[in-house]
Amino acid sequence: MALYNFKKIMVVPTSKEFIDITLSKTQRKTPTVIHKHYQIHRIRHFYMRKVKFTQQNYHDRLSQILTDFPKLDDIHPFYADLMNVLYDKDHYKLALGQINIAKNLIDNVSKDYVRLMKYGDSLYRCKQLKRAALGRMCTIMKRQKQSLEYLEQVRQHLSRLPTIDPNTRTLLLCGYPNVGKSSFINKVTRADVEVQPYAFTTKSLFVGHMDYKYLRWQVVDTPGILDHPLEERNTIEMQAITALAHLRSAVLYVMDLSEQCGHTLKQQLELFNNIRPLFANKPLLVVANKCDIKKISELTEEDKACDKLLAARVDSKMKGKKVHDVLNRLHLAMPAKRDDKPRPPFIPEGAKVGRKTMEVDAPKRKTERDLEMEMGDDYVLDLQKYWDLMNQDEKHDVIPEIWEGHNIADYIDPEIMKNLEDLEKEEELKVKAGEYESEEESEDEEMQEIRQLAKQIREKRKMKIVCSKEKDVHGPRMPRTVKKVERKTLEKEMGGLGLDMTGKDAVSRFSFSSHYAVNARRSRSVTVLKKRKREASVAPTSRTRSQSASRPPRDQSGVRDPKMAKKAKKLMKSQQKDMNRQGKKGEADRHVFDLKPKHLFSGKRKSGTNDHR
Amino acid sequence: MRIEKCYFCSGPVYPGHGMMFVRNDCKVFRFCKSKCHKNFKKKRNPRKTRWTKAFRKASGKELTVDNSLEFEKRRNTPVKYRRELWGKTVEAMKKVEEIKRKRQSRFIMNRLKKGKQLEKTEAINEVKKNIHLIKAPHAGKAKQMEDKMVQKLAEDVEMDGAD
Repeated sequence: MALYNFKKIMVVPTSKEFIDITLSKTQRKTPTVIHKHYQIHRIRHFYMRKVKFTQQNYHDRLSQILTDFPKLDDIHPFYADLMNVLYDKDHYKLALGQINIAKNLIDNVSKDYVRLMKYGDSLYRCKQLKRAALGRMCTIMKRQKQSLEYLEQVRQHLSRLPTIDPNTRTLLLCGYPNVGKSSFINKVTRADVEVQPYAFTTKSLFVGHMDYKYLRWQVVDTPGILDHPLEERNTIEMQAITALAHLRSAVLYVMDLSEQCGHTLKQQLELFNNIRPLFANKPLLVVANKCDIKKISELTEEDKACDKLLAARVDSKMKGKKVHDVLNRLHLAMPAKRDDKPRPPFIPEGAKVGRKTMEVDAPKRKTERDLEMEMGDDYVLDLQKYWDLMNQDEKHDVIPEIWEGHNIADYIDPEIMKNLEDLEKEEELKVKAGEYESEEESEDEEMQEIRQLAKQIREKRKMKIVCSKEKDVHGPRMPRTVKKVERKTLEKEMGGLGLDMTGKDAVSRFSFSSHYAVNARRSRSVTVLKKRKREASVAPTSRTRSQSASRPPRDQSGVRDPKMAKKAKKLMKSQQKDMNRQGKKGEADRHVFDLKPKHLFSGKRKSGTNDHR
Repeated sequence: MRIEKCYFCSGPVYPGHGMMFVRNDCKVFRFCKSKCHKNFKKKRNPRKTRWTKAFRKASGKELTVDNSLEFEKRRNTPVKYRRELWGKTVEAMKKVEEIKRKRQSRFIMNRLKKGKQLEKTEAINEVKKNIHLIKAPHAGKAKQMEDKMVQKLAEDVEMDGAD
């Protein structure tokens, strides 16, 4: 049914958008390439296609708009009336009429220009015709700007209308503004209508649904109605009237007994009478609302009479199953008594107290802020005065927190004194037992001497290690016997070890002069050498290590005379010359520094050799 | 104001010093300096890092179980302020501190005593093995022999004289 498809109306674009969309579609969906050397029928066909395509687009879209929007004659009178109230029937019809006209005009334009194009004889002519056609169509659309805007607004509002099904079971709430209709619907259904203390909070119809006897019931909330003749009613009130007039429902006329809505009971009654004709053929119920504020028994005589009248009327008008059902729903259900045990309602103490404080204005406690205001500049925030201690005069004490790197809070214990006593007793016992006496190790003389010696030994050892590390082991090593040993050093060393070095005995025993070579005597320069003569003083007494002393040095062995020596030296030097020139370390040095130096192997050879470039 | 304990080295974290790290499981770690913090981030175990207190206690280098150490502990029930209790507590703290110090040093001293014994034996060994570096084995023996001989002669002479 069209009734429910108000949300499915297509978006109505603005005129500018409309034109843009259509033209760009034409551009994209039709072939774009044409040359003037093509055959004329091809050119004509090309441009005709464009014109027809544009016309087709416009036509389709406008038709869609026309079909989407509901025709006021075809829909339920309730909606028709509602739309009339909201959007003005005439304006609506006019807008749609304009759209229709535009559609027809566009069709005509296209027909004309296609006919003309049959006689176009060049590319240029056809192109101009196409331009003119499209231009005219777009102008027509530009003129529809107002209608399109209006229709778009109508569409938006229409899609937001509540979906009220006029044919199902409905309850309609009506009455003055602010009587409690929206609150009622909020309570009864899952609707969330805004409830505010000012009048005309509800500005349009609202729907809620509730279940009763396995059936779905619609509850419609209306904006409040004021008491004045029909012609003077505004749009909002008219909505309510429309609903009342067209919806076949049970009407709940809500009255406010406490007159909190701002209208007396009498006024409400008058309104009731005024709109009575609208209630024809509808089950009616008068709802007395806000009875927690003013009970029915507190009404005055007059009001009571009105009530009675109302009640009588209501009784006479009640008919139909629906109302009975609704009535049952609206009565307070009293459970049947099981036994005679009284079961009064339970109100907790706090609620009672709360209620009491609400009723009586109790003197409030003086706050800090009040104090501050009183004292002005003298006021000092002192939170410690509220503390609840055993000794009230200790409240303003400065509490120590840290002592020597320890937190006092870690030591606080009500039993600390007892623990301390125990600890001290323990300590005393320990002291008595002699735990704390430091044992002075009185070592005997022997031990001390041993320590002394050990120390010396260690030192001597370290020295020896250091000395041996300092020795140069990388160069050629000469045997010990080659070096000369000074008498003094030997004496000192042996003396340090405790041996006696004085006396000839020592000398004879360690005949170092014979033992070790006397190199000091032999100088580098070649002195007068006797043939196979040994030094007189070097008379070996023992054969042990004396032969090394007797051998002549290599550069003098086998050499007869100075002339030969000279020659030998010359030979030596001449051999060395070569090696020296090549920077070699010795005979065995075969290291090649650079087999292929780059500067000799790269670049062009300008003039001459490869030794240098 | 509280002096907290550093998680890594167990040293004091004074207010305004160090860093606090809160992990996703709501465990709080306080560090006294970036050294501890960096070690923690490297996932090092304080019980294996030699310079921390945790290591020293875990490897028995320091006093762990003692009555004097039970005084300082985090209590969960707060006590309302009372002047005399606080005063007494401060006094008690001082005494407890003294006792604690004595006991801790005693503990360490006892531990180090063994070293002294070892030192002694080592010295004796050293002397026995390497005495030749200082004193030649037969140093002074010659003299001794001489003296002995002289003595003997003297005795003989005496004896002869007596006869």
